[in-house]
Amino acid sequence: MPLVKGSKSQPGGGGSAPDRAALDSPDAESRWTAARALGDDVDAVPALAAALGREDVPRVRGAIITALMRIGDPASVEAILPSMRSPDAGLRATAIEALQALPEAVAPFMARLLDDRDSDVRLLATELARNMNASQATRLLCDLIEREQHPNVCAAAIDVLTEVGTPAALPSLENCALRFASTPFLPFAISVAIARISGAEGR
Amino acid sequence: MDDPKVGASPADRITPEEVQRFCEFLYRRTGMSLTEGKRYFIDRRLQERIAATGSLSFQAYFSLLRADADHEIEHLINSFTVNETYFYREDHQLRCMTESLLGAIVSRKKPGGTVRIWSIPCSTGEEPYSIALWLMENWPKVDDYNIEIAGSDIDTRALKAAAAGIYGDRALMRLSRDVIDRYFRPVADGNHQIDEGLRNSIEFTRANLVDPRDVAQYRDFDLIFCRNVLIYFDDASRRQAAENLYDCLRPGGYICLGHSESMSRISPLFRVARFPDAIVYQRPEADNG
Amino acid sequence: MDDIGTPPKARVLVIDDSSLVRLYYRSTLEKAGFVVEQAINGIEAMEKVLSEPFDLVLVDVNMPRMDGFTFLRTLRTSAGDVATIPALMISTESETEDATEARAAGANFYLVKPVAENELLRHVCVLAGATL
Repeated sequence: MPLVKGSKSQPGGGGSAPDRAALDSPDAESRWTAARALGDDVDAVPALAAALGREDVPRVRGAIITALMRIGDPASVEAILPSMRSPDAGLRATAIEALQALPEAVAPFMARLLDDRDSDVRLLATELARNMNASQATRLLCDLIEREQHPNVCAAAIDVLTEVGTPAALPSLENCALRFASTPFLPFAISVAIARISGAEGR
Repeated sequence: MDDPKVGASPADRITPEEVQRFCEFLYRRTGMSLTEGKRYFIDRRLQERIAATGSLSFQAYFSLLRADADHEIEHLINSFTVNETYFYREDHQLRCMTESLLGAIVSRKKPGGTVRIWSIPCSTGEEPYSIALWLMENWPKVDDYNIEIAGSDIDTRALKAAAAGIYGDRALMRLSRDVIDRYFRPVADGNHQIDEGLRNSIEFTRANLVDPRDVAQYRDFDLIFCRNVLIYFDDASRRQAAENLYDCLRPGGYICLGHSESMSRISPLFRVARFPDAIVYQRPEADNG
Repeated sequence: MDDIGTPPKARVLVIDDSSLVRLYYRSTLEKAGFVVEQAINGIEAMEKVLSEPFDLVLVDVNMPRMDGFTFLRTLRTSAGDVATIPALMISTESETEDATEARAAGANFYLVKPVAENELLRHVCVLAGATL
């Protein structure tokens, strides 16, 4: 019979003190294992944040962000935020994925992020409202589109409003349509958002 | 004149815009694409879930769904997919295993080498036993290698049932009479028990796929079947499980997900690999991170 | 009498994580007679190009799990016909470095959002080898 009952290989293990030090290892594999072991260690956030700042292997970066995501406290959010500014599109996307899953911890940072000098940061920050409650997300995003000059940032906000926006968003959306009436795409996007919101609420 | 509200449940009519919101959410979250033609089906399922959650409107239900309150995403996905477990379920992946994957896997092994396959979650054992049966019935090289099949689950009751290997007619419905006669024997209550040799050849263990410590001892797998579990996990757990699966695979090893699942909603760690019978995912061979 | 039939419609894969952007491209392109499929990120896009034939991919830069550059590099290093599918990359960035990176990753052309309908159609027709 070719079927052989295998046995589990090496013993698992690893405590947390050795793991934090291993975040610093010259060997990527050790750093990977260390990051994965620290997702339930609230005290590891400073070490994880420092490791994230210097890590350039994408897989290890991802594991560090997963660990921070699982810890999910305000310090973890602060540790992930700088990655929103990275020139690396993959790192930015991973950061947003993680932050999006932490709506309560991210909430205190939203006003500041949506007011950032960098339009790319404002654009990415709109995604973070997607998992917030509808009224909160609507308020934040409407405040944004009322004053936002950059059409792509508005477009991103409107995409989120299409999913979560309440009727309170309608006046801001209509104003936005007027301001950007002669640009491509935005009038289309706003008309879809308005139809989606109106159709979902007013019967 | 009838008052249309009397006797009508609040979500009796779901508007097209509400269906669009819902479909877009489901597509973004799971990758499942519901076409216009399935409109009636969608409405029915949504109404069931709205009623089951005691929601007073679609909008109230949608807020609950977005927040995944009380694991509503799991309930919702279950209502949209068929979740029975039985032998030779999704056999196109088993066919992919013997027609495509094993060839690549053993090309890197010496004759007599070991092929390691993991079924997680294995539930009540249909999947790991199916893998074993399929290999013996369909792989010409089955005697040339040692094949280790492990089955793991977080549910110890399911594992006990898997070890006992007793199944009713429904679980066996895809098996030929010939296969049943050769590998099973009838037992009480019209059930069949799978051959003792097979029962003894599969390592059944308890493991939590999300816990890196739990799975640290599972190494060097050539092929992992991880079907119809990741889709239910929250964002952090999905990422963590994917990292664990990556770690448990050999470089170049393969993963098969469930038919409604896609790594596009789970993790960037794996390469998409297309074969005639299935799309599977591969841990990259050379590890450049 | 021979029935030549209608020529097959060119197939375009629209890859963007914004549902509104996908809807916008789809309505523009379908009106012009293209068959349009969608994907939300580079991984789903790879699954689709490996499963069905496409004449062109429109790919956004900023997407979750696999961004546009990574997708293009993966596409261009794949085995078979898939590697040579024309690719129109669309980004919010107007800086030249992004356009350079796009070319290096294997994009045939690069456009900056927001893209006007006629601009989109013109470039799609050229790259997909179709005529309006």
